[in-house]
Amino acid sequence: MFGEFDYTFRYDSNDVSIHVDQSEGFYKYFRKSAGESITKAISGGSGIMAINPVEPVNLPQEVTSYLEIHFTPVAVEPASTQLVYLNFPIEIGVFLESKGDFDILDIFSLATPKYSLYGPPEEGIITRYHESPVSGTLPHTDRLKEGVVSLTIANTSRSWIEVSRVVLDCRELFLYYSDIVSIIARMDILSKDIADVRSENRPLREGMKPSVLLSKARKTLIPEKIPFMMEFGVGD
Amino acid sequence: MASLDTVIYGDVTVLDLIIFAISVVIVVIVAKVVSLYLKRALSDRMERGELDKLIRGIQVAIILLGIWFALPSFNFDVGQLLVVGGTVGLIIAFASQKIASNLSSGIFILIERPIRIGDDIRINDISGTVEQIRVLSTIVKTYDGVYVRVPNEQIFTSDIINYVTNPARRIKYIMTIGYGENVDQMMHVIMTLFDEHPFVLAHPAPTIFVSALGESGVEITIYVWVPSRVWWSVKTNLPGQIKELFDREEIEIPSPQRIVRFTSSPTGSEIEGGS
Repeated sequence: MFGEFDYTFRYDSNDVSIHVDQSEGFYKYFRKSAGESITKAISGGSGIMAINPVEPVNLPQEVTSYLEIHFTPVAVEPASTQLVYLNFPIEIGVFLESKGDFDILDIFSLATPKYSLYGPPEEGIITRYHESPVSGTLPHTDRLKEGVVSLTIANTSRSWIEVSRVVLDCRELFLYYSDIVSIIARMDILSKDIADVRSENRPLREGMKPSVLLSKARKTLIPEKIPFMMEFGVGD
Repeated sequence: MASLDTVIYGDVTVLDLIIFAISVVIVVIVAKVVSLYLKRALSDRMERGELDKLIRGIQVAIILLGIWFALPSFNFDVGQLLVVGGTVGLIIAFASQKIASNLSSGIFILIERPIRIGDDIRINDISGTVEQIRVLSTIVKTYDGVYVRVPNEQIFTSDIINYVTNPARRIKYIMTIGYGENVDQMMHVIMTLFDEHPFVLAHPAPTIFVSALGESGVEITIYVWVPSRVWWSVKTNLPGQIKELFDREEIEIPSPQRIVRFTSSPTGSEIEGGS
């Protein structure tokens, strides 16, 4: 389903049905999934439709730009690095592209959204919440629902640290897709309470395509590219 | 044309005044055009409050700069003007203490930032959403859609309740179920509803417990945390969902009832009744 298509595109599966029809002088976009039906008119027929995974923080309503993944605790020894694989929920963005400009047409998801609070209620941040198994090898995922995070955990402290969650800033995310959806991220642990987390702009495998992300399509001004600092702990 | 050369004050002629007035009008128009352009270009890239502040700052800068360049048409000594301006400023400040107080309060509000544009707040009896923070006053739109101008001094010296400064808020519900109902089953179905609700936060986890054994039934207290931005919609939406769930699971929400026993009756039998 992911890729760039013209308006003759059609996708039907048990979970999702997407197509564009030409009627009453308009192109009309139809999408049916998760008990929801959407119809939108598109003006002009010279554009391209791009469908790809996007940052999972838009549904049912945008309340945050952070993704928090909880996983089975991993004890990381001092001054060492550990690579783990996690999964994360995805949302699917349908974009219209014309002359190099992208605009969002539709967002939907086959994953159930859940939100949480990272940190205390007075100064924490709302996060999109997901519980994931942790694995040392690339896990199998349904790419319409989930992606894979390749997370390098670097413990730069002098003590063993138990890590059971990571918070990613979706404004700084880089998503790639092919037969899987992937994020490469790195977590530099400074202490059991503080870690820097950043997403790296490279694919997990050769040949993967970069996703058009909502933060880019909306042309949001992001003043500085700094890693997100987890300052309310890396464990439970 | 002789009237244009008429001296009004010092070396300032009517023509100087007209040139100055035209310059100011042009500068104001330029400032408006620039702000319109900025609004169009940046409205989808910046938060509304931040954009408003940026545009206002640029407008003020353009107007001040325009006036600065227009002043030489008066042959004014700018240094002298600054001194005179400062003195006049002081006199005005003393003469209009309320305005000065509102102005300084406005500056402190901008520095301390107890409220931001878009925040849901309550100040004294005024509840609503902050629309604009101006130099002298703050504009609040009440939930009924009424425009309220609040002087900044009043905001600065009042207790401000800001409902969205903290990222999450707690909602409390109290409900009663019949004595004949299975409390564990009821708690389980409510927790399942909370697990499936996107905005009932996973952490801090919802709490549900028996808080009292009431006259009509078992009193249950529920605490859930939700994102502040969607607090109102969740608060008003959850009770209906819980009611639907209770109907589906056939869990009784009892009406107030009282058992009345007559120890003796004309026929000698015992009668029980409820209402």
